[in-house]
Amino acid sequence: MTRPVIISHEMDATWRYASGVAMERFANNLLERRIEAMQCGECKRRYLPPRPFCGNCRVPLTDWAPVASEGVLEAWTVVYLPIVDNRTGITRDGPYAMGLIRLDGADTTLNHYVAETDPACLKVGQRVKAVWREELRGAIDDILHFEVLE
Amino acid sequence: MTSASTPVAIAGWGQTGPLAEDLRSIPEMVLDAVQATLRNAAMGYEDIDAVVTASVDVFDGMTASNIAVTEVVGAVMKPETRIAADGLCAAIHAACQIRAGAYDTVLVVAHAKPSMSDFYELTKWALDPIFLQSLGIDFLTFAGLQAAAMAAEDKDAVERWAGLAACRLADASGDGKSPGSTEILQSALVTTPLREKMCAPLADGACACVLRRGDDSSPGRKEIRLSGLGHDLAANFIGDRELTESAGLERAAARAYADAGIKQPEDEIDVAEPSVAFAHEEELFVQSAGISDNTIISPHGGLFAGNVPIVAGLSRLTAAAEYLRRNNDLRAVAHGSWGPAGQGQAMVVLENAIP
Repeated sequence: MTRPVIISHEMDATWRYASGVAMERFANNLLERRIEAMQCGECKRRYLPPRPFCGNCRVPLTDWAPVASEGVLEAWTVVYLPIVDNRTGITRDGPYAMGLIRLDGADTTLNHYVAETDPACLKVGQRVKAVWREELRGAIDDILHFEVLE
Repeated sequence: MTSASTPVAIAGWGQTGPLAEDLRSIPEMVLDAVQATLRNAAMGYEDIDAVVTASVDVFDGMTASNIAVTEVVGAVMKPETRIAADGLCAAIHAACQIRAGAYDTVLVVAHAKPSMSDFYELTKWALDPIFLQSLGIDFLTFAGLQAAAMAAEDKDAVERWAGLAACRLADASGDGKSPGSTEILQSALVTTPLREKMCAPLADGACACVLRRGDDSSPGRKEIRLSGLGHDLAANFIGDRELTESAGLERAAARAYADAGIKQPEDEIDVAEPSVAFAHEEELFVQSAGISDNTIISPHGGLFAGNVPIVAGLSRLTAAAEYLRRNNDLRAVAHGSWGPAGQGQAMVVLENAIP
């Protein structure tokens, strides 16, 4: 079979997502280096990132609860493939570490980068702390990454 | 809740691939699979009442991805439904249409061509746009996080997964030249603790089957029926879930088993065809679906012969049907999975039946 004509196709579009009330407050809190979760009035689970509805109890969430910017590393992986940062278009080369972090006061875990990339230095249960960007802009990458405390 | 009052049989099936890169267009691939299916079922397009397709727009680089295959699946001037999830979910929806009495014969088709782009890069767009997309996380990283969570308290886990991958790769190749555990443990790290050869290789392909009412079968002629259907969707944020188990699969399996009247899955299932894209997922499947050593798992290597996203679960259904057609075993299960760290789960029970 001869090699067929391959047609390259590139999509370029911009979307403007409404943050919603929960993410708006979350983003505004980030501007003050503060993190809040939303708590379900039925099961009392504290959700982070905040969202408007408890999927388990099927009730709207209206209560806010403060959480710390420190917590526990519940899972981690060191990724060896490059990824493109969707916001900047800049490629982040591997290795980089991604974690699931349970901030003190939250019941769910938060995805974020972990500064340490040596697998031998990472373990579940480690205490980690948010490292904030100097110039805040009200987005999740106001937290640059989490650093290991111990 | 489904009703088992109208039995559903699988009349025929076919596929093209898996191939690392299929140089044909998507409609050409799908046409190949559909024609093979109709031949296998001894049917023509005129025998099909309705069509259910499975495809994902972002993977195909177009919306809506089913329009590329409208003609070749025979959907012009017919009722068509498109499922943006695994093909096994499309089969479940087709079976529900038959059970509901809406149609007698439904063609189910799934396709994907990950060689067209960077598949895992595309999976980022299936995540929360405000919080997760800006981090650049993708389904591959989620698989690594899940495997890491499972391995955290289990020091032998990674070696076991290498053994499972070696076994499935050997079953898939059939030539005895596949890598052993040692080579797998020395393959490149992708996302710790997963190494390259613990990940089922991505591939292009299409798969199809015809489902039909099973209560108008020829008496005494063996047929394969879909006797149990179950699917489930867990929370999208993986931080909401316990990653070391698959509660979604437990629920999907429980629904399928109840539907099929299975009370002890550890004793009642002869063969299982799980969708295992990463070696650790086989342990999640066995644990969550209640499968025991009495069950043969992935006799031809499952997705380690080529992992075609979206097609995977439907190809597991046709592999299970093929096994039952060639053997006298009574019962098989097919499993499908989609979304970040297996957010969506589907299970179908198949049985050899003599009307």
